Amino acid sequence: MISAVALTLIYGLSRFPNFAHAEFMALGAYMGYFVAEQLGLGFPSSFVAAFLASGALGVISYKAVFQPLANRGATIIHLMIASIALGFVVRHSIGAIWNWAPLSFSLAWSSFDVGMVRVSGIWLWLILAALVLGGIMHLVLVRTKIGKAIRATSGNPELALSSGININRVTLTTWFIGAALAGIAGLFRAAGTRLSPLLGWDILLPTFAVTILGGIGSFYGAIGAAFIIGLVENVGVVILARLGLSTEYRMAIAFVILILTLLIRPQGLTRLFRGT
Amino acid sequence: MDPLIYILDIIVFIGIFAIVALSLNLEYGFTGLGNFGKVAFFLIGAYTYALLIEAGIHFIPCIIIAALVAGLIGSLISLPALRLREDYLAIVTLAFGEIIRIVVKAEHGLAYGVWGMTVPPAIFWQGASFRMTLVAHIGLVFVCLLVCFIFVQLVTNSPYGRVIRAIREDEVAAATFGKSRLKYKAQVFAMGSAIAGIGGALFAQYIGFIEPYMFMPMLTFTVWIMVLVGGPANNWGTLVGATLVQLFSRGAKIMKDYLVVPFDPTDLQYILLGLLIIFILLYRPGGIFKERPVKTKALERVSQWKERS
Repeated sequence: MISAVALTLIYGLSRFPNFAHAEFMALGAYMGYFVAEQLGLGFPSSFVAAFLASGALGVISYKAVFQPLANRGATIIHLMIASIALGFVVRHSIGAIWNWAPLSFSLAWSSFDVGMVRVSGIWLWLILAALVLGGIMHLVLVRTKIGKAIRATSGNPELALSSGININRVTLTTWFIGAALAGIAGLFRAAGTRLSPLLGWDILLPTFAVTILGGIGSFYGAIGAAFIIGLVENVGVVILARLGLSTEYRMAIAFVILILTLLIRPQGLTRLFRGT
Repeated sequence: MDPLIYILDIIVFIGIFAIVALSLNLEYGFTGLGNFGKVAFFLIGAYTYALLIEAGIHFIPCIIIAALVAGLIGSLISLPALRLREDYLAIVTLAFGEIIRIVVKAEHGLAYGVWGMTVPPAIFWQGASFRMTLVAHIGLVFVCLLVCFIFVQLVTNSPYGRVIRAIREDEVAAATFGKSRLKYKAQVFAMGSAIAGIGGALFAQYIGFIEPYMFMPMLTFTVWIMVLVGGPANNWGTLVGATLVQLFSRGAKIMKDYLVVPFDPTDLQYILLGLLIIFILLYRPGGIFKERPVKTKALERVSQWKERS
């Protein structure tokens, strides 16, 4: 969910699907790992590391690649290809530094039973963090000046510019926040499963599914869509098993939702959340 | 390993990827369709071919049927997908490629799923050495490449080619001249998918063993790099691009044994490839070979007239 919120911010603002998003997640996870495990500073500090490192990467990639390209009048397809290429560079740099072998955090998560269900500590943390981050993002977007500026710029750049908003700074901030949130998402993903340079790439398409179902650029839509897709995937697995189909189709469910959304309702769920 | 066999192997791969790159060039270069699911049609071609060969059919009709099946599925996909904006089209095709791969992987009854399937050798005769069959494969691949190349050249240098270029430049203007953009795009998509299907069939034939993990999205991107390096909307450029990218990745594999770096050279290869694409997009978005104007009678006369005056 955090990942999708992050993606939707950048997508809404830059108007192209950023495939390097996956690498923002992976870098966050690895920086968190580096700080927590290799420097031994503990898990909380790894959050800060993931946030800052991925955010910085977002700003650098925007400044070095996407802004010059956009200034030269590159098409959406060119920007997408550039983001894929940037993804190669970052992914394989990570691979070169930390090797390709999957790593995992050495933290032992206490797990306990609630009724018949075994709950692992990481999942509680994940839910808590998602709620807290969601709340913070909501406050930032609605209450603060920069949040309003971000929404204005993503809605209509020309109008925002003429109202005296420094679009350039807003765009940079958005890239920073978006990438930093992706880093946090990656860190959680890594803590819940394991660490590999392909970590972001594996969940990139489901992330796109959430973003698009929620409506591009829509923060609340992304949150709603994250719940829907998560639910449908898990219910879908049960249905698939009942129908005698392979559970490998679990991944395909998100993709089918993605395609159907684009075909039937390309604006996503945004309309439903318009009142907010 | 025998160096000659290695070189022949590279040549076969250049041929196969040149065919797929040509199909993408037709779609993206000439018509402006961002198809990020090229690998899906490559996969369909490969599996159709493999299943038909297994059923004991001669390989030439197999290639043709593989192309037709890929083209048919391509046109089915294109009808809903082409109405979308170009970034949505890219995501839909990318997701479609993954869905197809998951289906092939999960349906064990269809084509042995994860275990992959062995493609019975079709080009084989009594007393043929390994080298001889390799040369035969080169012959087959390059005959197909020639056919595809001539086909794409003819299509793009015809009035039809001018229409699809017009659609790429300005859809609304093209529609104003009575050209249904959906019809042309769907046709191009079907043609491109069919050509990619031929590439897939040849790939299955040459490798002799296919499994779902061979058809990752990475393959699509490789083909995109070929088209972008060579120059979109220039078929000669695409051939050069396919050759260069293929040589680069093979060269990097050879360099691996000589280069002493503290990390895996494969990573270096991809980092360089990524940087190369970014630089091409930044400083030479037209690729190595720029698009050439269409050769028409009218243009010829204008240039003659220019020379005289």
